Amino acid sequence: MAASSISFSPNSTFTTSRNPKIKPLFSHFPNSLNFSTAASTPRATIIFSRAASVVPRATPVDSPATNESSTTFHGLCYVVGDNIDTDQIIPAEYLTLVPSKPDEYEKLGSYALIGLPSTYTTRFIDQNEMKTKYKIVIGGDNFGCGSSREHAPVALGAAGCTAVIAESYARIFFRNSVSTGEIYPIESEGRLCEECSTGDVVTIELAESRLINHTTGKEYKLKPIGDAGPVIEAGGIFAYARKTGMIPSQN
Amino acid sequence: MASSTISPAPTSSFINNKDLGRFCFSSASQFSITKCKKSTVSKKIMSVMAPQQSERRPATTGSVKNAMTMTEKILARASEKPQLSPGDNVWVNIDVLMTHDVCGPGSIGIFKKEFGEDAKVWDCEKVVIIPDHYIFTSDERANRNVDILRDFCTEQNIKYFYDIKDLSNFKANPDYKGVCHIALAQEGHCRPGEVLLGTDSHTCTAGAFGQFATGIGNTDAGFVLGAGKLLLKVPPTLRFVMDGEMPDYLLAKDLILQIIGEISVAGATYKAMEFLGTTVESLNMEERMTLCNMVVEAGGKNGVVPADGTTFKYLEDKTSVAYEPVYSDDQASFLTEYRFDVSKLEPLVAKPHSPDNRALARECKDVKIDRVYIGSCTGGKTEDFLAAAKVFLASGKKVKVPTFLVPATQKVWMDLYTLPVPGSGGKTCSQIFEEAGCDTPASPSCGACLGGPKDTYARMNEPMVCVSTTNRNFPGRMGHKEGQIYLASPYTAAASALTGYVTDPREFLQ
Repeated sequence: MAASSISFSPNSTFTTSRNPKIKPLFSHFPNSLNFSTAASTPRATIIFSRAASVVPRATPVDSPATNESSTTFHGLCYVVGDNIDTDQIIPAEYLTLVPSKPDEYEKLGSYALIGLPSTYTTRFIDQNEMKTKYKIVIGGDNFGCGSSREHAPVALGAAGCTAVIAESYARIFFRNSVSTGEIYPIESEGRLCEECSTGDVVTIELAESRLINHTTGKEYKLKPIGDAGPVIEAGGIFAYARKTGMIPSQN
Repeated sequence: MASSTISPAPTSSFINNKDLGRFCFSSASQFSITKCKKSTVSKKIMSVMAPQQSERRPATTGSVKNAMTMTEKILARASEKPQLSPGDNVWVNIDVLMTHDVCGPGSIGIFKKEFGEDAKVWDCEKVVIIPDHYIFTSDERANRNVDILRDFCTEQNIKYFYDIKDLSNFKANPDYKGVCHIALAQEGHCRPGEVLLGTDSHTCTAGAFGQFATGIGNTDAGFVLGAGKLLLKVPPTLRFVMDGEMPDYLLAKDLILQIIGEISVAGATYKAMEFLGTTVESLNMEERMTLCNMVVEAGGKNGVVPADGTTFKYLEDKTSVAYEPVYSDDQASFLTEYRFDVSKLEPLVAKPHSPDNRALARECKDVKIDRVYIGSCTGGKTEDFLAAAKVFLASGKKVKVPTFLVPATQKVWMDLYTLPVPGSGGKTCSQIFEEAGCDTPASPSCGACLGGPKDTYARMNEPMVCVSTTNRNFPGRMGHKEGQIYLASPYTAAASALTGYVTDPREFLQ
């Protein structure tokens, strides 16, 4: 590993800082759906009981969704190629696991990227492990193509991955990543899957839209995550909508 | 078209009174995301909200100021907007939400978590639940997932639940259908001009009926279950004009493989794909479904075929729900237009490991294969089996590799045993398949198209080479990671079964 002036702990870190600028995602549809009106209806019966183990991995704890955040991810990266489809991310035989059940959520994570061909000699998750040591996945074009299974971003998030950097995404995978808040699907400006190698130590600075590869000492520009960022940070669309007052909060 | 009782003319009024009534109702009740028990309270409050109706104007073809594509028109109507442009984000009222045994339990879990344990779905007649993926398996968790669906449907009084209880004999389950996308069509849930969302990427199949249909994840489906609507981005439309007489050795599968090969597996990402032209007009509904089924393999959001006489005829005995088709305006703006002279195309395959890895079937004649699979939402419909039977009949020979047949639905299975194959002197598909030495048609389900649990019928548990009428050939799709899948039409699949190599069906059909 090349010497780096930026220090890091062996365990990856996750830090956020915030500013109070409020930027609701749906603010430009004033007449479409007035969630806040629903707040005037009785809501004591709505139960919010997200088990701690189902909190999406990409979610920082206790972060108000109304704040724009500057989020940093730091850790080892795992590099894959183009057209990594949902069957490679989570093969269909594991789809009997129901992501909304906490124990099965954990199990889904242990199978993340198990469908990659054996040409990937370094596996995303080591044998007999439930979690990955790679916090960041770097891919090429059309990441997450194929099926609409939400199990795909969920498996990555449950495995401990926080962000995917790819040149482009398949539509449903991107949407599922945001709506679940499981992982940040970030687009790269160039072909980072050919610039980085599995095991490189990288930092992603979301606010600066920048990826730093400490192993090679190079820096790369990322495309801004935009309004999807606060939704993921909040923990998905439901959590975001509650925190921004679009739908009633649970208490 | 003449036989239809509805008004299919492109110039028909965009909004009729019934729609207005429906929208009034929806603005009063569907916006509520609290549980139904409290709806008397919420309705009173909600009715104060001004529904956006004053601005709505007719917007079909004719002298319209703002021309739209049919995808834009469907979304405009469903979002109660006079007009829309690509890129607009709108809240769309959902006509039908479909889910199945793989994503249903998770969607239900999210619905309950977010809307409450006692919450009711927004409309128990608009939720369609179709177990189809992992049915004939001893996998306990897979069986449990169907139980979760059943409990939910009972609790919610879901009208359209196609249940299966006796796994040993699917015929003992009159309600059981099979593959959701084919069952949706056969049961009359696919209607022109409507919006259908499903927790399956091949939900786009229903675009064959001139409706907007696309796949969504569990979280979005959980939201729709409670709210009856979803925020969608209006896609720009790619237009595919296919003209010319379809040669009798080609099927719609060849057309869509041609297109995906042309634009790549990401060529239509975030976009709508509209299919038209004289060739498309000549296709029956099942062939149009094949065309729309694989738009997601090009990354497409939805595929769409303008409804016509063929559509109305198909729907005649399937639904009593009034529907109103829409059509792209002549002046509508399309992102790109592609034109194909279908008469010049040849039978195609998609080689491993990508649906856009296009090659002519005859170029692959030296590829030795281990098995053939005919089934799935793409290639397991009645017309697909009739096509395969036609090749077996023309050759009079026996298959040289194991040939697995998985009818998509119970109706397709019945057709194999009852419908006479044209030109066969009254033989059924099942008789022809038996004479050709194929495996007996299996119980209808998604089968081995997506691998599934280890004991799934015809799953590739070894690294074999398979010619398949299914939709994807990414590594591991049908089971084994090192398996090689050649996607092909039912003609090409049957011809390949007869030789043991990837084979151009013209070897038998001419």
